[in-house]
Amino acid sequence: MSDLRLKNRVAIVTGAGQGVGEGIARRLAQAGAVVVIAARRAETGEPVVESIRSAGGSAVCIVTDVSVSRSVDECVEQTVQQFGRLDIMVHNAFMGGIPHKLEQAQIDKHWTSMSRTGVWASLFCARAAMPYLISSSARPAGQGGGRLILITSPSGIEGSANIPLYSPAKAAQRAIAKSLAREWGQHGVTVNCIGPVAGSPALLGAFDRNPALQSAIEARTPLGRVGDITRDIGSVALFLSSDDSSFVTGQTIICDGGSFLGL
Amino acid sequence: MSVTVLGHGALAEFLRSEVQCDTPSTVIVVGVDGAVVVDSLLDLTDEMIDAMYEQPMQQVIVNLQEAHARGSHRIVVVVPTTGMSGGVGLVAQSALAESARVLVKSAARQWGQAGITVNAVAVEPHWFDIDPEVSGPVSIAPRSLVGQVSPVGVVSWLCSQTAGDITGQTIVCDGGLWM
Repeated sequence: MSDLRLKNRVAIVTGAGQGVGEGIARRLAQAGAVVVIAARRAETGEPVVESIRSAGGSAVCIVTDVSVSRSVDECVEQTVQQFGRLDIMVHNAFMGGIPHKLEQAQIDKHWTSMSRTGVWASLFCARAAMPYLISSSARPAGQGGGRLILITSPSGIEGSANIPLYSPAKAAQRAIAKSLAREWGQHGVTVNCIGPVAGSPALLGAFDRNPALQSAIEARTPLGRVGDITRDIGSVALFLSSDDSSFVTGQTIICDGGSFLGL
Repeated sequence: MSVTVLGHGALAEFLRSEVQCDTPSTVIVVGVDGAVVVDSLLDLTDEMIDAMYEQPMQQVIVNLQEAHARGSHRIVVVVPTTGMSGGVGLVAQSALAESARVLVKSAARQWGQAGITVNAVAVEPHWFDIDPEVSGPVSIAPRSLVGQVSPVGVVSWLCSQTAGDITGQTIVCDGGLWM
C-alpha cells in the first residue's frame, strides 16, 4: 500500500537541489506532499523537480537565496499563492565552512556565510512561514499540522576541531527550535531539528579523494555505514512532518547510524 | 592573581571583583540582552537579529581570540541557561547563548594540546535580565534559591590549576533551577 501520510500537504525544502535537502524533498513527495524545491540555482533545483515528477510526485522549483530575508518571504508567498497553503517548512540550506584555526579565524572569511545561511536563514524561514504553519495546525485533525524542521549537525552539540565556527552556527539552530517550540506549542505547531550524517555530494566527493576517510567514518559508526539521503534522512523528516510526531517538539533527532551518542 | 574578565554588565563587574585564580585566566561574559522580549517572531526584525545575535556572537569570537593571544591557560565563557532550555520571546538570545556555549567545545578541541582549557558556566537567567519563567514552569524548591546562587566559586575553580583536566564542559550553576 502506498504511504500517503502527507497527502494534500505543502512543504518547502530549502537547499533541496542536492544532498540532504534533495533526499528530504524526495521522501516527502513520495508520501504525497507537494514539495517546493527552494534552491539557490535553478540548474540544481529543476532536475530534482523533474525527477520527483517522473516518479509520480508533485514539485516545483522556486529560486531562493536563504541568506536574504526578502527572497525567503517571496518563496513563501509564491508557494501559498500557487498552492493555497503551507504546512511544512524544512530549512536545510547551508553554506559550509572551510577548516581554520580559531585563533586566526576572520569573521568575513570563516563565519559570516555560516551565520547567514544557518542562523539568520532559520529565523527568516520561521518568520515567513509562521502564519501559514499556524493556519495548518488550525485545520481539522488529519488535514493539517504546522511543522518547522531545521537541519542541524552533531557538531552543533559536540563542537568541531576542524571547523570550529561551524558548530556555533549549528548549535544556534537547536536553541531556535527549543524557543520556537515553546512559543508555538499553543498553536499546535511543532519545531524540531535533525542532525544527519549522510552521503551528500560533498561527503561522497571527499570519500573519492580520500577512501581512508570513508573507512574511518564507517568504523566509528555502530551501523557501519553513512546514511542514505532519502531512505535514512528523508524518512526522519517524514516522521517529523507527519501526524505521527504531533507530540514531539523542541527535539533534535541525531540520524547518523549511532556515531554520536552524547545526548 | 587577578583574572581578566571580558564583557559588560553587572555579572561581569561582579566576577571582575570576586574571582581569584592561580593561573593566567580569562572569563568571557557573553553579551546576552534579556531585557528585549519579542512577543511574536513576526516582530523580530533583521536589525534586531543583528543586534541581539550577530554582533554579540562576533564579539565572543573576538574575545576568545584575545584570551588565546594573551596567553590564558584557563578560559571560561559565562552564558545563561536559556540557550540550553530555550525561552519564549528570546529566540535570538537563546541562539546566542547556545552558539557561545558550543563554540567553547570547538575551542577546547583545538587548544587542548596547548594546555589551554576552555569551559562554560551556565548561570541563572536573571543575571542577564531574563525571567526564568520564559523557559517554562520551574520547581518550587530550587526556585527559592533565585538570586542567592553565586557563580564565583565555580568560575574561580575552573580558573585554577586543579581544574586542568576539565575542558569542553558546561557546568550549570543555577541552584537547580533548570535541570
